[in-house]
Amino acid sequence: MKHSVNRPPTPDGAEDQGKEPTLQEIINIKLIESGEKERLMELLRERLIECGWKDEMKALCRAYIKKKGRNNVTMDDLVHLITPKGRASIPDSIKTELLQRISSFLTSAAL
Amino acid sequence: MSGPNEDNTQLSSHFLGDLLDSIIVDVASECHRIAKLGLDHNLEEEEKELRLSAQARARVADPSNSGETNNKYVVDIFGRTHPSVASEIFECMNCGKSIVAGRFAPHLENCMGKGRKARRKVTRSSTAAQNRYSRGSPVSTYSPYSNSTSTNRLSNGTPVGEEYSNGTYEEP
Repeated sequence: MKHSVNRPPTPDGAEDQGKEPTLQEIINIKLIESGEKERLMELLRERLIECGWKDEMKALCRAYIKKKGRNNVTMDDLVHLITPKGRASIPDSIKTELLQRISSFLTSAAL
Repeated sequence: MSGPNEDNTQLSSHFLGDLLDSIIVDVASECHRIAKLGLDHNLEEEEKELRLSAQARARVADPSNSGETNNKYVVDIFGRTHPSVASEIFECMNCGKSIVAGRFAPHLENCMGKGRKARRKVTRSSTAAQNRYSRGSPVSTYSPYSNSTSTNRLSNGTPVGEEYSNGTYEEP
């Protein structure tokens, strides 16, 4: 029977039961449940807007869109366009601030 | 061997990367949406502007068009006629593009965001400059009545009376 949709096979239930959640997963859950992830996101968003990072990324997107024509651009294109530059151009002060907050959350949550 | 501090740093970096990726996807999605919905007026406006200024330049460069065949049969006291499209080409002090003088007013409308359908090209530096001048901080000597050239400034910070961008400023 030909499938109309290509999808990976459903993971076997028995296989999953043996897996322990990783440390990352545990912490991620804690971050979300405590609301800290949301706060961190908002803080990071605010800082990136203040320093003009968002404007730079938007300018990159607009230039790319102008070049390729607005109907030929996919979300994927844009994400691949901004990701390397976005990660590289985040100011050190912002990086430090966020890392400190995450770090103190980790030490408080690990107890 | 990684001590607890190194683990901490590595984990923090991982989560920071996570947050950053989400924000990047948000920005990409916003830009994608604006592009697809055609909400970015500047995108097409610039093409239209380029086309019109290219037309203006062509009209100016065309030797058969001396201006006499246009509506204005204007002759000045030396018997010269004016071309109906001002032919001087100079640099816009706001965006830095080469503009034909005859198309400068409509260009400025869009460039500075005052015309219909024009989007304000708001950047952090320009809003900061406008805020600075409109709030009138106690340290600055800005005064609307002052005549000295050092304090006479247009709202976009270009000093008045010190230079003209088309280079025709002459000493009296």
